[in-house]
Amino acid sequence: MASSPRTGRSSTAIFAVGIGAVLLIGAAAVVLLSGGDPLGMSQRIVDSLYPPEAVTEQGARIRELYTIVFLIAVVIFFVVEGLIIWTVLRYRRRPGDDTLPAQTHGNNIAEVVWTVVPTLIVAFLFVVSWQTLNTVEAVSANPETRIRAVAGQFQWTFDYLDETGDNVLYTQLLPTGEDGGMAVPAGRTVLLSLESPDVIHAFYVPQFLFKRDVVPGRINTFEFTVNAKDAGQTFSGQCAELCGAGHRVMLFDVHALAPAEFDSWLAARIEEANATPPPTPSAEPGASGEPAPSGDTGQGPTLQVSALNIAFEQSELGAPADTPFKIEFENKDASVPHNVEIKDAGGASVFKGEIFNGVETRTYDVPALPAGTYTFTCTVHPNMTGTLTVN
Amino acid sequence: MATTALHPAAPTYRSTLYDWVTTTDHKKIGIMYVINSFLFFFLGGLLALGVRVELAQPGLQIVTDQTYNEVFTMHATFMIFLFVIPMLAGFGNYIVPLQIGAPDMAFPRINALSLWMLPLAGTLLILSFFTGGSAAAGWTSYSPLAQDRPLGAVGPGQDLWIVALTLIGTSSILGAVNFLATIFKMRAPGMTLFRMPIMVWTVLVTSVLVLMATPVITSALIMLFIDRNYGGSFFDPANGGDPILYQNVFWFYSHPAVYVMILPAMGMISEILPVFSRKPLFGYKAFVFATAGIGALGFSVWAHHMFTTGAVYLPFFSLMTFLIAVPTGVKMFNWIFTMWRGQLTFSTPLLYAVGFLSMFLIGGINGAFSASVPVDFAIHDTYWVVAHIHYVLFGGSVFGIMAGLFYWFPKMTGRMMNETLGKVQFVLMFIGFNLTFFPMHELGLAGMPRRIADYSSTAGWNDLNLAATVGGFLIAFSMLPLLWNIFISLRSGTPAGDDPWEANTLEWATSSPPPPYNFDRLPEIRSERPLFDARHGQQADH
Amino acid sequence: MASDTHALATVEHSPVGSLAHDTRGGISNPVLGMLLFITSEVMFFAGLFAAYFNVRAAAPQWPPVNPETGEAFHLAILPLVGPATVILILSSFTCQMAVWAIRRDDRVGFIRAIAVTFTIGVVFLLMQAADYILLAEEGITLSAGTFGTTYFTLTGFHGAHVFGGAIMLGVVLYRGMAGQFSARHHDAVEAASLYWHFVDVVWILLFSLLYLLPGK
Repeated sequence: MASSPRTGRSSTAIFAVGIGAVLLIGAAAVVLLSGGDPLGMSQRIVDSLYPPEAVTEQGARIRELYTIVFLIAVVIFFVVEGLIIWTVLRYRRRPGDDTLPAQTHGNNIAEVVWTVVPTLIVAFLFVVSWQTLNTVEAVSANPETRIRAVAGQFQWTFDYLDETGDNVLYTQLLPTGEDGGMAVPAGRTVLLSLESPDVIHAFYVPQFLFKRDVVPGRINTFEFTVNAKDAGQTFSGQCAELCGAGHRVMLFDVHALAPAEFDSWLAARIEEANATPPPTPSAEPGASGEPAPSGDTGQGPTLQVSALNIAFEQSELGAPADTPFKIEFENKDASVPHNVEIKDAGGASVFKGEIFNGVETRTYDVPALPAGTYTFTCTVHPNMTGTLTVN
Repeated sequence: MATTALHPAAPTYRSTLYDWVTTTDHKKIGIMYVINSFLFFFLGGLLALGVRVELAQPGLQIVTDQTYNEVFTMHATFMIFLFVIPMLAGFGNYIVPLQIGAPDMAFPRINALSLWMLPLAGTLLILSFFTGGSAAAGWTSYSPLAQDRPLGAVGPGQDLWIVALTLIGTSSILGAVNFLATIFKMRAPGMTLFRMPIMVWTVLVTSVLVLMATPVITSALIMLFIDRNYGGSFFDPANGGDPILYQNVFWFYSHPAVYVMILPAMGMISEILPVFSRKPLFGYKAFVFATAGIGALGFSVWAHHMFTTGAVYLPFFSLMTFLIAVPTGVKMFNWIFTMWRGQLTFSTPLLYAVGFLSMFLIGGINGAFSASVPVDFAIHDTYWVVAHIHYVLFGGSVFGIMAGLFYWFPKMTGRMMNETLGKVQFVLMFIGFNLTFFPMHELGLAGMPRRIADYSSTAGWNDLNLAATVGGFLIAFSMLPLLWNIFISLRSGTPAGDDPWEANTLEWATSSPPPPYNFDRLPEIRSERPLFDARHGQQADH
Repeated sequence: MASDTHALATVEHSPVGSLAHDTRGGISNPVLGMLLFITSEVMFFAGLFAAYFNVRAAAPQWPPVNPETGEAFHLAILPLVGPATVILILSSFTCQMAVWAIRRDDRVGFIRAIAVTFTIGVVFLLMQAADYILLAEEGITLSAGTFGTTYFTLTGFHGAHVFGGAIMLGVVLYRGMAGQFSARHHDAVEAASLYWHFVDVVWILLFSLLYLLPGK
């Protein structure tokens, strides 16, 4: 036997209370968070739904496109959501509604309208998107600076290339920090090529409003120009394609320098790279952190440290206090930069060995350290850590 | 009168555990699909809580990076393959034969096989946690990370994942064969294709998608398995293979898969809205064509997941992706105009149906941003995408599933669910859901990437992440009234009778629950609302 | 219609019984089911073929150079694969003859034709296995770069489908010998033959692509 739909007062009451609670909480939140400044609050709300200000010319085009998409989205949202809310409130069944409402099956004109109009809207969105895409993807005939970013598990390194793009002038092994990161000239076109020796990564700088995958077996290239006015700023970047356990620590910095400053910086780095003679590889890879008997010069012991698969193979090291000592560091990760850096209990860096690519062994001369407990780490991969006890 | 008066009455059909385990009755199989899916919903939900607890504050609190990768990989795997897809298949299994006036599915024994492959696959996935680590390369499992290589997917966890997914895919494909044969061959006399309920249409189109797309991911998984275990080179660039090949083959299935996950939910909404508006569905034929259009277009957009690879013909995929918004919009308007000038009764099924409309709308809108390639360059692989997928999958599929559960529970069990508990659950879930996922739009725009166990405390993402975690726990909390509701309703819910909702379709023309062969006799079928016609005869405006 | 529990339990008297042989006409449920299943199998092979075409298009040379011999990989049509192809095509004919036989109730002819088809299927598999051994001796294995990987994956899964088809034919043969088929009731034969034709068509495509298509 058919029964009438339930219009129990208790359930309607609960429903009304629930919706009322939501609205009250929402209103209270807005008032509280705005701190009495609703206009500023609205600005902040809009900002929260916008990507950051772009620092590249291409990024600025993307942000303009975003505005168009956003405005259309907001209008559609309010119109359709409003329609839903209006319908739901206005056409509730009231006591006394016993006869059926008009059994309208459809309306062909309505169907045509709400097929054609959305088609026009999306066609428009497609066209403006395509135009912006062409601008963003454009590569100039003679980019002024060529850099190759190599993404590996789990670090970024940057090769500065000459005009042909075939020769490496200088390689930056440290991805972040003042001494590291990718320095670029603001106001000049930079052609960035992306390579990976292992798994898929992605080059992502939120302030560029841009990312591009780094795919093994493929070289992706794109061009960007940092706004001249943004010279002197640093932008943070991060790998945006899951690449393993170290995915979240694959950070990098982009330093925008004024063109003249960039030129002198690069020239200095090139000169440094050419001047330093390559160190002779050490002959004895060790397996433990035990101090070996001291060698020729009467200095302290030589600690054996090695790195494999983005981890130190030793977790505990020991060294004598107040005596300079050596660290023989074997980097077993092919083409991956590592070093050994020592930090004291307060986190200050007391020694930073040279960063170099594996597979290679180099010996560091560590100055005398007072007794205490230190951490040794890799500057490129801060999650590689161990304890150094000096006594 | 269209109801049956079967003797002996329903209580004597109560059956033993043995009956349930060996049954080929689509109704019991459908219910077991639903139960199994709910179990994995809760398991996937627990994993989600693990993610949210870790991300609530900066710093690694409860897991390592590698374990975190396992947690979100398995969260998505359980939710997609063992919750949403089989849950909708389960509802389809229960409802479709009833709605077309058939006594069962075309191949009842294969139906049972499809069901039992699922708990088996689920067990393999659970076991994989204990074999040295489950799969941890994301549910997308891109190569080369998913290969057996240093710092990659070393160990049997990934292989177990591949085997489990192959099993689930086979279960789906067999189910699709069953649905299509049933719908084409076993409709009751008078039920032409254009008199089928929209639920049946959506299951039909979904089954075509499953039939044509799922085998392609099977091939991708097999190729990955061969690369991992037999020295294959499909995706190894060092030996002539291509990681992008994996993505193309994978997404060729996984994009249609999202329509597999939403269309039957849309079908359920399309049954519920007319009943609770006391009007027919507005634009029945438009719905049919829109559903078919989504199905067809759904095969042409897969590479929009690959816009940032540099290996895709961007304009084509962007255009097709934009176009697929059109049939979706047609449906949205037709649903709204079903309610327009109706007489709405706010029982829980309608609450969830309206919740579906309003939340799926947001999911569709934020998806349009990704269709614009340059904008996608900014938001791909960030929390914006996490917001999008959850607005369509939770705001869409889950709300649709909840609507369907409250609507068909009386038919399946003969008992009404408790309305008060249902409304409490709805309010908690609605608030929790929006609190969890709306902030993710901002997080994505601000630059927070996906799939990271931790973030910098100076990035400015702390508050939004904390809010999302609070929301996540609200969602979890909202499961309590649901479970309590199911428990007390099964024991002492109001007897439902054949047709508690004054509904339109054939499943309400038999007892609750229906007898083994579903119908003693059927009403005449002259439209898509045979029960409505039988009830109102010549009175209604037809 | 009687609503007696006992009557409902037997196929003949239940509403479902009359549907088992689909008196409404058109193809039967089992045949429709098999056609749908074959569609899914076509898509499975489509994925593998797509991989093959992709790998082939990206290679600078095809077939690539075999590192063991220093020369390009070469797949020999004789002595095994060519004859195996011929007999497999023949087996589609014998399979269809079996279907025609049972449709006109010639049960003896049907059993003979199915037995021949089944035997050819088994022989094909044996010849394929022997060919695999010969190839392995030349260094062509699953791990021989993209060439070996695609070749063995494609032919291997085809072989697996031949194996499945042979089991199907074996079951049909057994049931036929037990007298379970007649002109009126032989859905399983129709379904199995459709599958067998599918397996043959896939092989013709594979053979053409892997052995006949010119390299680059």
